[in-house]
Amino acid sequence: MRALLLLTVANIKSFTRDRAALFWTLAFPLIFVVLFGSIFSGGNNDRSIGFADLDGTPAAGQLRTAFASISNVKLVEKPEDELLASMKKGEISAVIVVPKGYADTVAAKAGPAQVTVYTDPSQSQADGATRQLVGFVLSAANQAASGVPPAVAPDFKPIQTNDLTFISYLVPSILGMSLMQLGVFAAIPLVADRQKLILKRLQATPLRRWQLVGSNVLMRLLIAMFQTAIIVGVGSALYDVQIAGSWLLIGALILLGSLAFIALGYVIASFAKTEEAANGMTSVVQFPLMFLSGTFFPIDAMPDALRTVARALPLTYLGDGLRQVMVDGTPFSPLWVCFAFLGVWLVVCFAIAARYFKWQ
Amino acid sequence: MSSRGATAADPVIRVTGLEKTYGETRAVDGVSFEVRAGTIFGLLGPNGAGKTTTVEVLEGLREPDGGEVRVLGVDAVRHPDELKPRIGVSLQTAALYPRLTVTEVLELFAGFYPHGRPADELIALMDLGEKRSTRTQDLSGGQRQRLSVALALVNDPELVFLDEPTTGMDPAARRALWDVVLGLRSAGHTVLLTTHYLEEAEVLCDRVAIMDHGKILEEGTVEELVRRRFKERAVRFDTIDGLPDQQLAAMPGVSSVKHEDGEVLVYTADVAATIGAVLGASEALGVEPENLGVRRATLEDVFLDLTGRALRD
Repeated sequence: MRALLLLTVANIKSFTRDRAALFWTLAFPLIFVVLFGSIFSGGNNDRSIGFADLDGTPAAGQLRTAFASISNVKLVEKPEDELLASMKKGEISAVIVVPKGYADTVAAKAGPAQVTVYTDPSQSQADGATRQLVGFVLSAANQAASGVPPAVAPDFKPIQTNDLTFISYLVPSILGMSLMQLGVFAAIPLVADRQKLILKRLQATPLRRWQLVGSNVLMRLLIAMFQTAIIVGVGSALYDVQIAGSWLLIGALILLGSLAFIALGYVIASFAKTEEAANGMTSVVQFPLMFLSGTFFPIDAMPDALRTVARALPLTYLGDGLRQVMVDGTPFSPLWVCFAFLGVWLVVCFAIAARYFKWQ
Repeated sequence: MSSRGATAADPVIRVTGLEKTYGETRAVDGVSFEVRAGTIFGLLGPNGAGKTTTVEVLEGLREPDGGEVRVLGVDAVRHPDELKPRIGVSLQTAALYPRLTVTEVLELFAGFYPHGRPADELIALMDLGEKRSTRTQDLSGGQRQRLSVALALVNDPELVFLDEPTTGMDPAARRALWDVVLGLRSAGHTVLLTTHYLEEAEVLCDRVAIMDHGKILEEGTVEELVRRRFKERAVRFDTIDGLPDQQLAAMPGVSSVKHEDGEVLVYTADVAATIGAVLGASEALGVEPENLGVRRATLEDVFLDLTGRALRD
């Protein structure tokens, strides 16, 4: 046990004196959190819509009230040409123009009064939302004009879920990514130690192999704890990210995920003969994991083929599990899928490494 | 469990018919030798002779394909874990943690053993005092080699393996290491070393074995090896034009004549008579033999004679 602890301390010293390792495991994720956080935090989801009333009648005023009463819509009232100019600059997402004579046309029931709506089809999401919104308000106006009470009316009852801002999505994602890198990068010093015959020299001492592997894993788990503290700490200090779920579950996910990725690192070390090869192979493994596992955008937004790939990757489940616990406070019972999947990866990688890893 | 009832008379190392093949290459091809307690044994040979493979089997680091290996009374192949606490190892390429300091590496390795020696003691022994806080990646080749030897002594081992310990050392450091090795023997330790340097073997080794192509060609004390091959000494002088080899070979006591770097070596059983004849023959030619001298055969000559090449080619 003493040998294991001494070796762990030696590993940590070696690690903290390795600038590249420090950068990738500590600075790199922190840069992500701070960078993305400052870009995306504080941005509200309100939609600005321009409203130009050329009619100036009470009927047009009702329409304005109807639009303004919709939550998440901020009505900007300016002359039509100014509104169109600011829409072109991207400051507002749509412009609604109530033409002169609107009230008269409605009152006379002389065919539909035209309300002009400028939207930008290239912003498909905003465009769709605007169309729905305008359709909803105008059908209410139509219905009011008909003088018949509405047969069916929606009764919106908001249910408050946790506010999933981008930053609170990002913190668990970055944490998952960092744990993945920490584990996969285990391959590089391992191959270097083998190449420099350090592993062989250690084998000439009474040190057992399990102590050697154990110290390596222990060091990485300690660093994983440190990473978690830094990433979550910075996320909550700078961007007020809240942790909804149980720390026990978070800890269990971090433990299992780290072990699975360390095992993946040992798989790489089993097939990489030189340090350079290990470097290349970790890149080949880490970048697809980084971008296909829902770290930066949800996998639901991916094309089908990529989504199938994503569903097989371990980081998808670590990231998803962490997001669910940290953001939604999901309990173990639906989360066991993530645990099971990470467990399978751990066992498979462990088996491959046990079969192919060479000490000399 | 292996039998531990080794007595003082038993050899510390007993290798019988050791074989190891890598693919097509027979790296070690039927090697047998013994090393007695409290002696320094040298394994000599060119690169690729099979020395390192042999040593690594003895250290319990490699499994041989055949043969029997008993080290300190333990079967090194089947019970390497019993052996490891009792041996010290310095590998051919000094293998260290590049980002740890000299003291840190020594303390780490000491921690692997129940009774590790204090780092300061080993630092003083190997004259690494000025480098105690230097990271091993910043050490010179010779300093790294000294640290590697220090690590081999960290558990005060009964048997020390030193694989090419003086490679990369300057002459002063080499001599200092020789003193350390001789000190180990005085303290009752047994040492097995491999080396390229025949001078080193002559100074240090009680017995040597010369290896080439995976086989031991000759084994014994340096004195024995030299006398077994070269019963005569050599009279040597710079080549004299007009003095043919046939004339030299016909001189009293002469057995053979060789040429080496512009020098004539006349091997003879009767040095005085041969020198007289050489002086007479050169006077007849009106010249004086330059750099006339007598040479005793060395390990280098033995090696050349055995393998047909010099060791450090």
